Amino acid sequence: MKKIKILFTIYLLLILTGSKGIYSQEEIKIKITEGIPLITVALPQFDYSGESQIDDKTKNEIYDTLWNDLKYSRVFKLIPKEHYTYLPRQEGSRIVFKDWASIQAKVLIKAVIDVSPENRILFSIKVYDIDGGKLVFGRNFGGKKEFLRLISHRAADEMMKHFGEKPIFTSKIVYVSNRDKNKEIYIMDYDGKRPRRITYNNYIDLMPSWSVDKEKILYTSYKKGSPDLFQFNLYSGRNEVISSGGVNYRADWALDENKVVYTSSKRDKNAEIYVRFMDSGKEKRLTYNHIIDSSPCWSPNGNEIAFTSQRGGTPQIYVMNSDGTNVRRVTYEGTYHDNPAWSPDGSRIAYVSRIEGRFDIYLLNIKNNSISKLTENSGRNENPTWSPDSRHIIFSSNRSGFYQLYSMDYDGSNLKKLTYRGENKMPKWQKFK
Amino acid sequence: MKRVLITILAVMMVIFLFDSCKKKVETEPVEKVEKVEETTTKIEKPKLTEEELLLQKSLDQINKEGHLKKINFDFDKYTIREDMKGILHNNADWLLKHKTIGISIDGHCDERGTVEYNMALGEKRAEAAKKYLVSLGITEDRIKIVSYGKTNPVVKGVDEKTHFMNRRDEFVIIKK
Repeated sequence: MKKIKILFTIYLLLILTGSKGIYSQEEIKIKITEGIPLITVALPQFDYSGESQIDDKTKNEIYDTLWNDLKYSRVFKLIPKEHYTYLPRQEGSRIVFKDWASIQAKVLIKAVIDVSPENRILFSIKVYDIDGGKLVFGRNFGGKKEFLRLISHRAADEMMKHFGEKPIFTSKIVYVSNRDKNKEIYIMDYDGKRPRRITYNNYIDLMPSWSVDKEKILYTSYKKGSPDLFQFNLYSGRNEVISSGGVNYRADWALDENKVVYTSSKRDKNAEIYVRFMDSGKEKRLTYNHIIDSSPCWSPNGNEIAFTSQRGGTPQIYVMNSDGTNVRRVTYEGTYHDNPAWSPDGSRIAYVSRIEGRFDIYLLNIKNNSISKLTENSGRNENPTWSPDSRHIIFSSNRSGFYQLYSMDYDGSNLKKLTYRGENKMPKWQKFK
Repeated sequence: MKRVLITILAVMMVIFLFDSCKKKVETEPVEKVEKVEETTTKIEKPKLTEEELLLQKSLDQINKEGHLKKINFDFDKYTIREDMKGILHNNADWLLKHKTIGISIDGHCDERGTVEYNMALGEKRAEAAKKYLVSLGITEDRIKIVSYGKTNPVVKGVDEKTHFMNRRDEFVIIKK
């Protein structure tokens, strides 16, 4: 956590020194690549035990998945694999800590994979503090071979938890894909792997969103002829209409309370913001006017709502209290902003801005009112959604000619393409405390 | 037995006598001609009214015939363009003639707006056309509106002509 604070301070300093005043909005491109005190980790190849054969594909997949998770984290820095070859050969199970220290590693992960005759995988990790020369923690994970990626993600999550970070690697993304012809709802791992189709409505399904308990998905479907808000339960399979009449879309579940904020025009054929208390089914309308109010999302503490409104003439981002009072505008430059997404740590709002027909993703730093641009010169970029630890953003972009999902860090670096089949849009990351 | 034979002979004689009488009558010339005719009028298969003809077709067929024309909008706007009002008047005239027809006005946007904002904008466009038709005498209960945002473009492309074609209200017949 201390390291993150340092990182954040560097970020703040860069922004503050670069801006004219606290309340002026300026576009600053920052790139943090070096000098960040990440935890250096050595992850040597795993040992294998057991009677049955482990094929290379399985071995590599378990290893690479853990490697890629830790690399993605921005908490850990992996010591390059070729450096391990500089070390003298280590005999048996004895760990020579000073050798590992010589390649600048602070943490060593040793793991053993065992495959039982029933094709179950047993994955054991031991994590060592190199400077202290002692075991920090150990964990065993067991499961069917089909879940080997999940086993690695669980191990990576344990690393995160141990170092005081959120376990983001078993979290999932819900999104819309037309890979099976129709626009339907799918879920996938955070890294784009293991996609699974959720809806079979055979109509247009759009804008899905997770419940905090991860069991339900709210989305808009034209199943009954109009864009109604549906709730789909992943465990019971129950699919029910929550709100209908006019348009009903873009629901966002609050972290602390069982309440949802969404857009609906059911009362007067004009998009307005509503809050629905999911236990009682009671609703509270927050906006009253004849112009478009849409795209609401909660602040992480549930006290405020960011949304898009056309009340100033063009679509701009506003923030209001959760009861609809104290509305204030937060974007000023440009003529078209939408898709606000509040970072789970509360410090930033990501949004989309259209300038000269291009959509790009921007970040508004709430504390100092500064703006940074995250995407540039690469198609239309929309629907940013935050990782639960506020370090990464997944969004959709048509930079390849087709809409696909991409991941980047909160500073615009480490761009990674996540989807390849069909067109894929409207991602929403699971959220949890 | 004799009696039976006598009776048969007697009957046969009577028949013979009668027969010869009849022949005498028929040989007389016929002067009077009786007029024979049916007095009821000829019934023909009636011609269907335009409305009845329409009702015989499926909704798909009626929609394909294109009685109701699309209108297009300006970028980011939902006000009815002056040059589109004529189309709405024609659509209203047709709907006034075919009183059983119910329609859905489907509002669409070009790809240059966000999904969320376009969802609201598409509805505004559909609602604007609905209000205009209502002002021309079409009753509200005949019109449903649905926004499709930018999910259903009619053409793919990046130029203004494409965008213009995609920013539209479609008038779909959903009830006949």
